[in-house]
Amino acid sequence: MKARVIDRADVLKIVDLLRERGYEVAAPFTGRGRDTFFEPVTDENRAKIELHLPNPYYPPKRYVLPPIERLLKVRSGNGELRIEPTCEEPKRAIFGIRSCDVAGIYHLDRFYLGRDYRDPYYEKRRRNLFLVNVVCTDPVRDLGDECFCVCADTGPAARDHFDLQLMDLGDEFLAAAGSPAGEQLFAEPIFKTGTPAHIERRRAILTDVRGRFKTNTSWFSATVRYITRSEVLEKTWEEIGRRCLECGGCTYVCPACTCFTVSDRETGPGEVERVRIWDSCALSGFTRMAGGFNPRRAVHDRRNRRFFRKLAHYFIQRELSMACMGCGRCTAVCHGDVGMASVVEMMRRETAVTEQHEPAAR
Amino acid sequence: MNPQPAENIYLPKTAVLDRVADDIAAVKTFFWHFEDAGEQARFKRFQPGQFAQVSLFGVGEFPASLPPSPTEGETFFTIREVGSCSAAMHRLRPGDRFGVRGPYGRGFPMDEYRDKNLVFVAGGIGLIPLRSCIVYAVQHRDHYRQIQVYYGARTPKELMYAADLREWQRTSGVECHLTVDRAGDGWAGHVGVVGSLFKRPGVRVPVEDTIAFVCGPPVMFRFVIRDLKALGFQDRHIVSTLERYMKCGVGKCGHCCIGMAYVCVDGPVFTYEQIHRLGEDI
Repeated sequence: MKARVIDRADVLKIVDLLRERGYEVAAPFTGRGRDTFFEPVTDENRAKIELHLPNPYYPPKRYVLPPIERLLKVRSGNGELRIEPTCEEPKRAIFGIRSCDVAGIYHLDRFYLGRDYRDPYYEKRRRNLFLVNVVCTDPVRDLGDECFCVCADTGPAARDHFDLQLMDLGDEFLAAAGSPAGEQLFAEPIFKTGTPAHIERRRAILTDVRGRFKTNTSWFSATVRYITRSEVLEKTWEEIGRRCLECGGCTYVCPACTCFTVSDRETGPGEVERVRIWDSCALSGFTRMAGGFNPRRAVHDRRNRRFFRKLAHYFIQRELSMACMGCGRCTAVCHGDVGMASVVEMMRRETAVTEQHEPAAR
Repeated sequence: MNPQPAENIYLPKTAVLDRVADDIAAVKTFFWHFEDAGEQARFKRFQPGQFAQVSLFGVGEFPASLPPSPTEGETFFTIREVGSCSAAMHRLRPGDRFGVRGPYGRGFPMDEYRDKNLVFVAGGIGLIPLRSCIVYAVQHRDHYRQIQVYYGARTPKELMYAADLREWQRTSGVECHLTVDRAGDGWAGHVGVVGSLFKRPGVRVPVEDTIAFVCGPPVMFRFVIRDLKALGFQDRHIVSTLERYMKCGVGKCGHCCIGMAYVCVDGPVFTYEQIHRLGEDI
């Protein structure tokens, strides 16, 4: 992977370069308190872009999978029916996307563009998406109490699937190219060649940051095994079900959740649009069929479903990653403390107790 | 990333309603064709057991079984009025246009079942998804050994596809046994649940080299499975088609995902062995 060095004062010039090349650039900003968000960069707000800030709860996933997206426009009249797909193909860059969310988008790629059918709406939004990953290095600003990418192996520094990765070394940033498009930027004079000392510095910072995560015992491997083998105890699922308030928050903040519902709405006389909307497996109506039969009624069945879908070995193999990126958002928004990190720990502990691995003493 | 624009998997094609035929109460059969002849020819290559997504624009889209056999001339859906989409479907008049996309899912591998006995067990509107493979099997009965149909409904008036049932009863090489939960309307046939037909005098359900197709309401399904297993059927020789809430039909929306399967792409046809492993109510 090719890398260059860039002065701290020049880092936001990358945003300018991308805008000059015709990209609509989204970047992170801070609001009041913990509130942070991605927004399109304009001449007015460009100076307020934050390089270090708590990761926005609303994941940048929405740039490839909008919460509401129009699929079709349908006009009817005179016995005719005109069905017109409405794909958008923006040229967009996300500046300051965190490593966990880079992994999230790669996961979505595997899901929406893999297997038998490719999703054309996702594909068009993804085709011209340029990702500028900023590595979380500031233990106070970047790392939240809930962050646990070290457990999910997605961070703090993404290894691939970005176009450009920036890492704060103090007075300078190290820029690594993850794609030919990213490497092309290195022709710009703001990028300078580095020295082995820069790489050494990078290594030292990452080692330090890795040690500063507060959530660091959410060990997935045991839980993946228990879930895959259906060894998780029924009482554990029931406890998770009892704690779940069925708000659906975990799914709406998740960078790897993919489910959607489809709805038609009238937009004028004889004119209808069909949209898809993020949906949540936490909600009881998710599996309810016409006529009222619901094969998945109990809350704990639905929780079981979510964690199985995210962690079972079968799906990991199919999508080349777990459907958890360790961003910790679900932990942050969950009122019942059944976010991913807690659930992974809970399953590991409660299931391990019943294991008969100890040799008999007599 | 693939530079070729993918075919739009969510784009329904315009279908024209030709005629509507009443079946039992609240159930109608809708005969239709695609406006585009090429699309019609492509669609007609579906397998028994596959399904399609039907669009009533402004109301929504729903998955519907394909009751015709691909060997039949016409394409049609048989729909019971239960929700908003099916109600809108029931309001359509001949000449009206709606949307269809598909066919989707894995159907019954009818070629794999060659030289086997086929036993079809259906309850109520469970005959709709099974009709396709029954018609297919009856038309190709030299490919199979015994073909038996066991069909039950609550009352004689609720026995679906009356003309087909009569034809199957008349066809040599095909056995078609009917039953109702409650007699009446001059019903002279058997009374009892569909599984009770297996024990009728003169009935012999083949078990060796046999595939049993089961479709019907959840309670009926459970009891028929028990009866078939008592006869000696292996789980992997019992097949069914699952119904789930679906929004896309192509493995993306997530609503029909149970266990390791997306019903829309990995099913809807599953063996009972697979269904059992998925671990959810039928």
